[in-house]
Amino acid sequence: MLPEQQDILWTFTTIIFTLFSLFAFINVVQHCRAREGTNTVLWGTLFGTGLIINLLLTNHMFELTQQQQLGFISWQVLAVFLILLTWGVFFKSQNIEDQSPPLIRAAFFYTTISILLAGYTNWLPQQRSDPPPKATVVDVSDLTMEKYTAMGEEIVFGKERVAGSKAIGKGQCPLCHTFDPGDNIGRCPNLFGVEERSHTRIKEDRYLNEPIKIGEADGATGIIKGKPDEIPEEYRRADASELIGEDYLRESLMCPSCYVVKGYGKAGDTKSPMPVISKPPISLAKFELNAVLAWLQAKDTPGEFEKVTIPLPGPEDVAGGGDGGDGGGDDDGDGPVFVVGTETPQEMINKLGCPLCHTIPGVEGAVGELGPKLHEKINAPKRIKDSRYKGKAKTGREYVKESILNPNAYIVFNEEAGEPYPEGVMPQDFANKLSVNALEKLVDFISNTQPEG
Amino acid sequence: MFNSEARSIKWLPWALVLAVTLFFVPGLSGQAFAKEVFAEQAFAEEAFAKEVLAEEGAEEGGEPKVEWSQDVFYKDWEGNPLKGPVSGFPAPELGEADYNNYEFAPSRMLLWMANQQHLYFGSFVLAVPIFCMLIEFVGIRTKESDPVLAEKYDKLAQDLMKVSLTAYSWTAILGGVLLFTFITLFPGFFKYMAGIFRPVMHVYALMFLAESGVLYVYYYGWERMKADPFLKWIHCSLSVLLNLIGTVLMYLANSWATFMQAPGGIDEQGRFLGNIWHVIHSTLWNPVGVHRILGNIVFGGGIVGAYAAYHYLTAKTAEEKAHYDWVCYIAMFIAIFGLIPLPFAGYWLMKEVYAFRQQMGITLMGGIMAWLFIIQAVMIGLLFFGANSYLHNSMSRVKGSHRYMKYCKYMVLLLIVCFTMWMTPHTIVMTPAELKDMGGAQHPVVGHFGVMSAKNTAVNLMITCTVLCFLLYQRSNKKINVSWATQGNSWITAIFILAACNIIFLGVYGYFLPANQRVGLSVPQVTSTLTTLFAGTAINISMFKDADSYGEIEWGTQSRVGTYAIFLLAISFTWLMGLMGYIRSAVRLFWHVTEVVRDNSPDAYTLTIGEAGKMLTFNALFVWVQFVIVFWVGSLTGKKKAAPVPEGVPVPAQQQQ
Repeated sequence: MLPEQQDILWTFTTIIFTLFSLFAFINVVQHCRAREGTNTVLWGTLFGTGLIINLLLTNHMFELTQQQQLGFISWQVLAVFLILLTWGVFFKSQNIEDQSPPLIRAAFFYTTISILLAGYTNWLPQQRSDPPPKATVVDVSDLTMEKYTAMGEEIVFGKERVAGSKAIGKGQCPLCHTFDPGDNIGRCPNLFGVEERSHTRIKEDRYLNEPIKIGEADGATGIIKGKPDEIPEEYRRADASELIGEDYLRESLMCPSCYVVKGYGKAGDTKSPMPVISKPPISLAKFELNAVLAWLQAKDTPGEFEKVTIPLPGPEDVAGGGDGGDGGGDDDGDGPVFVVGTETPQEMINKLGCPLCHTIPGVEGAVGELGPKLHEKINAPKRIKDSRYKGKAKTGREYVKESILNPNAYIVFNEEAGEPYPEGVMPQDFANKLSVNALEKLVDFISNTQPEG
Repeated sequence: MFNSEARSIKWLPWALVLAVTLFFVPGLSGQAFAKEVFAEQAFAEEAFAKEVLAEEGAEEGGEPKVEWSQDVFYKDWEGNPLKGPVSGFPAPELGEADYNNYEFAPSRMLLWMANQQHLYFGSFVLAVPIFCMLIEFVGIRTKESDPVLAEKYDKLAQDLMKVSLTAYSWTAILGGVLLFTFITLFPGFFKYMAGIFRPVMHVYALMFLAESGVLYVYYYGWERMKADPFLKWIHCSLSVLLNLIGTVLMYLANSWATFMQAPGGIDEQGRFLGNIWHVIHSTLWNPVGVHRILGNIVFGGGIVGAYAAYHYLTAKTAEEKAHYDWVCYIAMFIAIFGLIPLPFAGYWLMKEVYAFRQQMGITLMGGIMAWLFIIQAVMIGLLFFGANSYLHNSMSRVKGSHRYMKYCKYMVLLLIVCFTMWMTPHTIVMTPAELKDMGGAQHPVVGHFGVMSAKNTAVNLMITCTVLCFLLYQRSNKKINVSWATQGNSWITAIFILAACNIIFLGVYGYFLPANQRVGLSVPQVTSTLTTLFAGTAINISMFKDADSYGEIEWGTQSRVGTYAIFLLAISFTWLMGLMGYIRSAVRLFWHVTEVVRDNSPDAYTLTIGEAGKMLTFNALFVWVQFVIVFWVGSLTGKKKAAPVPEGVPVPAQQQQ
């Protein structure tokens, strides 16, 4: 459910609670009618009130969002508990032995067990997994080999690596492979030292002959083994006349069954269980696949990139991004946002979605109220001097830049609400959406915003 | 078994075990035998298709204008992708216009709800005819030796069918809701699926006509076909036909889900390659089908058990109590026998998932879905606790059970130990400080229990323990008189001890083997467990010949704990079924059809465990509200016309005197 929608379980539970109070009301009235001398008015009023209260509570639950519902339902639990208590008093006072019917007991038993299970699932670590972007747009103007290998590492492990949990990026490699010396989960080969092995492997007899010979085509992918000049053009390296270590690595990703490391294959080590990385579901584009290769070549010698034979990508390599030859990228607005800096500040702001949350003078339609108003010409210098400010900015301009790239560095206090604006709402990934030029241009504009009139 | 009623169904375990074995042997032994057979067939079909096309081309005086493409799954003899004539359009690149939604809830949740409710009811209405078939058959076989009991069985089968009839209409309505939810909220995706499965969908609809026809003749012809023995056999045969049609219906519907998870019969672009059998019979079709049949039996048993348990609690007379206590027993008997082989069907399914895409298997067992399997472990533990608790409590009302009751506490202890091992996670999310304190991602001691070696050992021991519990339950009121009693007991003891030792040894041995070899150990472990089931039950029942009885079961004296254990089993089955369905479906991640049709809707993300858990709880509770309504509606006809008790038929409680 979306945050602004109702929670399906609490909505259902509140309806069930009201139905229960209706049942209790009918049950009590029936008992009263069947027994002479029972104060029907008193008990009827009590349970009728319980029913009305539950009806009102249920009605109110429909006006709340799911987060609010979670807080509010405790009141209804209390109301139901009081009804149960009163019901017990009623049975006791009337000496009714056949008390709450098994239907109600079974319903409470079922509800309790099920909600405990739901509670258990909410007690466990929560991790939502978003689909990988269909296309990746990269600014190559200031790309260095360090950044490029870092990009490869991110494809392997993902952006957020949580201690103790397996970090898995778009490439999904750590599902099976390990990368540190001595670490082996037994699924696929450890990739420590793979750069060094890549040069010797292409000379081994086993590589030359098994499971298919050099020059033969792999049935599943159609890749011709050991022939870098025959690799599909969109993935081929320039001047691919001679077989080198880089080609072995590329072939491993694009044709896993061209060579299967002993003990890690199926059908007598002739078939690899590894997916073709350039095809769905992983579908790495050429520049992504090369980034992974560059990282594999550089990872065992941190800070040194001499062994990397992969060239940095040019603008033509990253244009269109994406789907790894699977029909190409998708530029109709579904892809991730990237602002290059040729746009006007207003266009950039609209493209990045800032008006959804912020009121920004000078930008038409920017009247959002979820975040603070951007009057940074006045506010930024004040905030740097705030005792709560722990950031590194020394000037208003630096503060604005820091707020864009690291929004949690300082959380603005909402004077009207009497509490800080919620932390973590502002996207943390603007660094990936802005080129350097665009960032500078945006900071210039926002640093000079002030109340209109 | 211990009394005349139970004795007459002693062959049931054999029938169930035999049926399950027939399904499992190809699945669990070595390579996927069925797939190879069909690959052979596919190869022949391909050659035939080429021949026909060549002939057509020759007749027209030119080359046939048919494009050939490679199958994403099927392989030929040499292991190369099978080729087929392109016979459909490529999978669409879905966009915003292909998804609709309502303001109040994401489309994905609505579809999930519609799907799950339909599946719950579908599962129930498929399971009940299986029960009716078995119970009616037992009734017919018992008629000569015990006409009173035969009448009871017959009446029970008819009562169950009555409930099922209302549920059947309800299932059809929910099916309609599901269909409209698909069409209205996911039109682009449904169009593609309908394009591929067009003939299957029509056959499916027509099969419903057959199912309805047989169902109505079966139910409404019950009284008319009851008296004449020949007609009664015909009537019982109708139940077999009903189950056959029901199974075909389920398998047809399964093919859509298994195609979405592991497609076959299409090329990389999603184009249909002309062979509808390939599309239907994708790699997960068989294991999912078997898993669902067993799951249906367990789930149906849970529902009937809960239905009977509820009536047991509300019963006003001793006769009623005795009757519903007996129904509880029958339902639990069937449910537990479905439950015991269920994990093995799960293994088979996972084996096929790994064979299809290793990364899909790892996503399930070691990736983002891994925690859901921990929850599954907890649920399975809960089920075994519930089942054993019911058996222990039921045993206590059998005269002579005091000889075995003393072992219950040890069995509970074993279950607790195994359960703890079974639910220990491999790794958990930790802060760097916690990680440092623990000395790594795995705990130095407890971490050893997080791997499959330990888990296979634990679950096999739990099943073996349940089998043992059941054997003791069987012989509770028996005084064994056969001359070979000592040898028989020694054999049973030896089988269980050897099985337990073998399971534990293989579990420990697994730690010293690489992962790819370790997987193979699960087969001998499972074999050990099955041996206790097969051989143990066989020897146990053989020993009952000429046995004296300490007394019959005192029906109607089931404890409240035992009754609530049935409720626990029923709600746990429901929740677990939802959980496993979610896991199976969600492992596609952001694909409608794995690697072919990408889910481009705003709901393409994978839910957090908490979100999924709340939805599962809602679905479980909501379906039970509907079951209550359906049972109530089903009971309305019974209230109007009280069933006449056959003359001279004593009530169950009296039978025991």
